[in-house]
Amino acid sequence: MAVSRREFLKGSAAAVALSALGAPVLAATGSAGPDKWVKGVCRYCGTGCGVLIGVKGDKAVAIKGDPNNHNEGKLCQKGALLIPAVVYAKDRITDPMIRKGGKKSPLEKVSWEEALDFAAKHFRETIQKDGPQAVAYYGSGQALTEESYLANKIWKAGLRSNNVDGNPRLCMASAVAGYLTSFGKDEPMGTYNDIDNATCFFIIGSNTSEAHPILFDRIARRKESSPDVKIIVADPRRTNTARIADMHVPFKPGTDLALLNGMANVIFREELDNTRFIDRYTAFKKGTGEAASLEEYKAFVAEYTPEKVQEISGIPAADVVKIAKLFAESTAAVSLWCMGINQRSKGVWANNLIHNLHLITGQIGRPGATPLSLTGQPNACGGVRDTGCLAHLLPAGRMVENEQHRNQMEDFWGVPRGTIQPKMGLHTVALFENMVQGNVKALFIHCTNPAHTLPHLNKYTPALEKAFVAQTECFMDAETLKYADVVFPAAFWCETDGVYGCTERRYALTEQAIPPLGNSRPVIQVLMDFAKRVGVDPKLMPYKNAADIWEEWRKLSKGSPYDFFGITRNRLKKESGIKWPCPTEDHPGTNLRYVRGEDPLVPKDHPDRIFFYGSPNGKATIWLRPHQPPFEPADAEYPFVLTTGRVIDQWHTATMTGKVPELHRAYPSAFVEINPDDAQKLGVKNGDQVVLETRRDKMTFPARITDTCMPGLVFCPFFDKAKLVNRLFHDAVDAASKEPEYKICSTKVYKQA
Amino acid sequence: MAAKKPLLIIALLLALAGGFYLYINIIFPPVRCEAAKHPEAPEQYADCLECHLKVTPATAQNWRESKHGVLLVKCVVCHGLPDGKGSVPFAAKPGVQDICVRCHEPAMKQMVEKYGAELECDSCHPHHQNPMHRRAFEAKKPSKTSF
Repeated sequence: MAVSRREFLKGSAAAVALSALGAPVLAATGSAGPDKWVKGVCRYCGTGCGVLIGVKGDKAVAIKGDPNNHNEGKLCQKGALLIPAVVYAKDRITDPMIRKGGKKSPLEKVSWEEALDFAAKHFRETIQKDGPQAVAYYGSGQALTEESYLANKIWKAGLRSNNVDGNPRLCMASAVAGYLTSFGKDEPMGTYNDIDNATCFFIIGSNTSEAHPILFDRIARRKESSPDVKIIVADPRRTNTARIADMHVPFKPGTDLALLNGMANVIFREELDNTRFIDRYTAFKKGTGEAASLEEYKAFVAEYTPEKVQEISGIPAADVVKIAKLFAESTAAVSLWCMGINQRSKGVWANNLIHNLHLITGQIGRPGATPLSLTGQPNACGGVRDTGCLAHLLPAGRMVENEQHRNQMEDFWGVPRGTIQPKMGLHTVALFENMVQGNVKALFIHCTNPAHTLPHLNKYTPALEKAFVAQTECFMDAETLKYADVVFPAAFWCETDGVYGCTERRYALTEQAIPPLGNSRPVIQVLMDFAKRVGVDPKLMPYKNAADIWEEWRKLSKGSPYDFFGITRNRLKKESGIKWPCPTEDHPGTNLRYVRGEDPLVPKDHPDRIFFYGSPNGKATIWLRPHQPPFEPADAEYPFVLTTGRVIDQWHTATMTGKVPELHRAYPSAFVEINPDDAQKLGVKNGDQVVLETRRDKMTFPARITDTCMPGLVFCPFFDKAKLVNRLFHDAVDAASKEPEYKICSTKVYKQA
Repeated sequence: MAAKKPLLIIALLLALAGGFYLYINIIFPPVRCEAAKHPEAPEQYADCLECHLKVTPATAQNWRESKHGVLLVKCVVCHGLPDGKGSVPFAAKPGVQDICVRCHEPAMKQMVEKYGAELECDSCHPHHQNPMHRRAFEAKKPSKTSF
């Protein structure tokens, strides 16, 4: 008792002293009493939380959650610490810079005119000499919608090059192809509201807790409010997400396709399928694309008996049955997945197989029943997928290789028919491969850091050494700046205005809160000034500001399956995000897409309750996709599987979170997680330097001995620029989505001599 | 002699109190691990929990089992950094109106509307204590769908 009292008293005294110390610090940072709060969206992940930016004078001094947005005032620690550490980071780039004497010369500050002329000259000359296919744009799921729409238009209609791709290819492409092939159009049919109504969560290939903390909070609250709700987490790592799970199902990495087919088998065997739904709303297809029947599908999945799934994946047969029953017997099941499914050489198939489960059980189109793919970046959905800012796409779900779609866009943009090249451009990996080969000679990079994030970095960084690189960037420590010939200082996040579209089809506006720092400029201005100098007709870009671009994009969406004509700039200023389809200004937005009475694009008198209007036959497709192993499974020579991912405190390449001492100190550098059993066999102790050697390269990491990883699996986070773990990875991509397999490669693991 | 007796008693009591103080300090040293203060060198940067599980195990465990712990709302989010270099001021007891409000403003507004007064949240919701957090998010009843 004496001790606790003593400690208590000492603690209280310290608390009083420290709170007294704390008060002036708070006042010094100015976070007490901003003059006004400006509405926006968080800069980080695809959850798309609403924020309020506290502004005093012309400085951003505070940030808090927007109580009117889906996050109801909450922010995760990354979002809550965004201001002032990131906005006013010491290494913010505030002046344009160029390398006057080639790649080895230093970056020198120059005027905007000089930087723009310098970049434009190279692009102009490259196009004159080698044609428009020799120049490319590499964009980002963090760019504003207006920026991506504009860049897409400049390249495809202005420069006549379809080489427009970006980092969403590295994260969401498989989800896009999954939705496209299963439902005919991209983007989820459900929303976050489904989390509040679900009675079963099937979380596979997602560490929601660390990658989407506010959604995890919502799932946890759902579980708390109704403990009957079941949560299944299928993941080879026992992440923090598994802490709220009723079942954590670890499996051999890369064997989830067998599990998903096995679940389908159990669902039929136990007669938990929804025959009426299947008959009315679905069609079956074989991998080759030819039609199949329900009986053929049943026979196909019948091969995946629980015992066979156990053999392939290591999941006990009884658990396969249990998961399938929990999923199918629940009144409303939500599937959530992220990079564990997408960043795979069979990522699209894995996506299809998740959709299959929802289609055979009818767990779709009702509150709480939906396959909801989580997005990694704040504007991959709205900005890149919807505006068609990828090599094979045109805006609003149109395809480059469809002549009718090209003509529609040419007419809308007011360019002669035949302007848009009929062949799709180069997807990311092919783009960098072509740069290595010298076929693509000039690259415009916006808002992303490929020298850090591409797979098989040793193979692809020479591309950046070889090609002329113009880059927009905010922070001096981005790895790619090492290769940039021109750097345009971009206005950061709340220094300009623009729309982000998050996972749940919600478009929300970040209004300009403060002026751009130093000489930095909004990127739409940079893109237009650059394009005019390269020779793009100024009539293609008749915009005064981002709102003008939004207006054009909004009109373009009218009548399309992505109809958000009703989401005007004024509405976005007033409301904290609106979910499309939203065809008219008085429409409140849509929660249940494809559902009559909910989705305004389904005719009110449609005979069926659900209408998958994205596909030509109005039906969703159930695909017969077999299990296939990953590109590089563990073998005798390289006996471990290496996987990569996030930690909650760092985001992507840490150019933002690395500036926040509170976040950075928790995980200042990369490490390798090793299972205690493996560590014992390898003679490795906590903190020992451990070598990971793959067929590409070898690197050393300090060991963290933890049972998060199952035996045979090691994990490294990818945020650390001093330890570019992607150097260890191969560059195998999904055949359909062209998304690389960042989640699985084989490796040797041994203690450093 | 009689006049000196109370003084002697006081002296004896003082000596006893001093002795007890010394005894407590020697038997229960204020710092019970290798880290006498927060390690601040870059090579010592680590997640707070790694050390605090050893240094203040009860608090660390309480946090881990609380909602903040399950949701990974880590120490620094509310307490700031010990060297005060972050944007959150370091405080053993974070201020409700400075820190809690950053995430819980809607709930706080509701409470004010309900009870009509500005309350200190932690008088009813102790930050780290399990009972208020009801062993957060743990399943209590079997599901209708379980077998």
